[in-house]
Amino acid sequence: MSFLSFFLNDFKFFLPEIFLATSILSLTLYCSLVATSRELGFPVMVKSLNKLCLLVLFFTFLLVGNEQSCFQVVYQNTFIFDGLTASSKQIILFFTFVCLLISERSILTHKINNFEYLLLILSAVLGLMLLISSYDLISLYLCIELQSLCLYALAASKKDSSLSTEAGLKYFILGSFSSGLLLFGISLIYGCTGSTSFGSIFLLLASADNSSVTVLIEVLSKALFFISLAFFFKVAAAPLHMWSPDVYEGSPMSSTVFFAVIPKLALFSVFLRFFTVMGPNFSNFLLSLLVFFSLFSAVVGSFGALKQKKLKRLLAYSSVSHVGYLLLAMASCSFEGNQALFLYLIIYMVASVTIWSCVFSVDTVGNRFRAKTLADFAGVASLNPLLALTGMLSFFSLAGVPPLAGFLAKLSIFHAAICSSIILASVLSILTSVVASFYYIRLVKNLYFEPSRVVSSLRYSHKGVESLPLSVSRECSVVLGVGFFSLVILFAYPTPLFLLSQKMALCLF
Amino acid sequence: MFLFKNPIYPFGHLPPNNIEYLPILLLIFVSVGLALIILGASYFLSVQKPDSEKTSVYECGFDPYEDSRNVFDIRFYIVAILFVVFDLEAMFLFPWAVSLPYAGSMGFWSMFDFLLELAVGFVYVWKVGALEWT
Repeated sequence: MSFLSFFLNDFKFFLPEIFLATSILSLTLYCSLVATSRELGFPVMVKSLNKLCLLVLFFTFLLVGNEQSCFQVVYQNTFIFDGLTASSKQIILFFTFVCLLISERSILTHKINNFEYLLLILSAVLGLMLLISSYDLISLYLCIELQSLCLYALAASKKDSSLSTEAGLKYFILGSFSSGLLLFGISLIYGCTGSTSFGSIFLLLASADNSSVTVLIEVLSKALFFISLAFFFKVAAAPLHMWSPDVYEGSPMSSTVFFAVIPKLALFSVFLRFFTVMGPNFSNFLLSLLVFFSLFSAVVGSFGALKQKKLKRLLAYSSVSHVGYLLLAMASCSFEGNQALFLYLIIYMVASVTIWSCVFSVDTVGNRFRAKTLADFAGVASLNPLLALTGMLSFFSLAGVPPLAGFLAKLSIFHAAICSSIILASVLSILTSVVASFYYIRLVKNLYFEPSRVVSSLRYSHKGVESLPLSVSRECSVVLGVGFFSLVILFAYPTPLFLLSQKMALCLF
Repeated sequence: MFLFKNPIYPFGHLPPNNIEYLPILLLIFVSVGLALIILGASYFLSVQKPDSEKTSVYECGFDPYEDSRNVFDIRFYIVAILFVVFDLEAMFLFPWAVSLPYAGSMGFWSMFDFLLELAVGFVYVWKVGALEWT
């Protein structure tokens, strides 16, 4: 491949990624020179770096939007650029922006004073962007490694906490095990087809006559099994979910919000593409695999969360059950299913960002409030009614209560699944989602009907309750407001979201 | 289970006169033989006067047989990791230099990009003081 053709043809598609990579490198240089300089007095750069990272994400967002969203496979068939990749990248950049915005105060109060922390988040985003675009098994593996190495370090970033270190180590060991499974599957595919490119594999499988290559198909189905195991591990689908509650619990809260919100969309979009490539010859096998993991996740997510007392573990189990519903949409193997998948993911991201900014608002006000256990949310309604209302609405949206966007998303998923005649699994998932709504309602009960421990302890002191309002930071309040209204309005007027998810799903056909 | 219920030959049967891997077979024999000769020569030809210091295991300054829960310096790991990184750089550079005629201008400049990024990493490592042993 010549230099000239790269700059003439492929270079312009990579502009956002190249911009992001260059910014990460220059920010690394800048921070390592400034933060260690004795003349400047070893400044803590987290606050200014946070603003710079927001700026970088914003410009990358603009650059992605600037691309023509035509179908293009570049760089020797290793990367693909189309409408799906552009929209997924924009969504990921947008939500990373929001996550950095709401977690800024938490990073400062929890004294994560390393500038590397924010640079790791940017590198993880770079990995996710490349992952969305990958169209080759090698680049898929490398991008997954890039983003997960950053995530391991983010989990272990609170160096003086043994829980955080343990979370990082656990995540690292289990994650590298799943990467091993992925590599094994990839090598089987390469051994059978002689290629790692999605396009070549698709052409080979489409032209293969089923009766003449039964042995090939049999080996390939094993390869598919191992690769999907790695995928299920990465998105924490039960029974491969065991790492997620511990990692969520141990890592600092600003990392947990990133784990919980961002990587799922990238993983789902790239593996949906992969399953679409492999799909036609293995539809029965894939269907049984996806339905099994979907049902298992829905059941484990709903029943596992019932006993949880810690907030982060509860949210981890809740995300396991949501992954179950997403896998059900994937199993339906239809255009409607893919559309429902993206719709559900976007609405899930909006609701969880709102919930997390609610958690951050409760957590960071002085040392009096903490948001570790469910009991810490007691009586928020008496201190800040609007915060409690927003929290309640987003919990109801996750549970799928009708006048909110979450209901719409669940409806479209179960509609797509029933249209593809996956009836028994859909009915069982609906039943587990009833169980799941119990613990969301218990959180709402804590918000509204429990007496606040802080208020009752203050009653005996000289200060009144009025001197301790639960004030919300400016960034969090913007996110809370926008999240609140989008959850309500998207139920009444879901057209833009439908169009977006339709555009994303159309690219897979 | 649906896994491995019967043996699989994905690559077909080997052709009968396959000598493609003959050099590797020869290499295996030669390397095993050479290793035996060198090891045997140093065993038989040398003058052996063992004492306790000479026969004890040498392992980077650690006592090899002590409690595994001891505290020891994390810098060993940092240096080891940095060594791996820069060692891998050399490992990339050699095949790159050999295959430059086939790699084209793209391959040529890719290595410069890689070295640039590695240099940024090196500056970072230097500045945060990971190379200092004090």
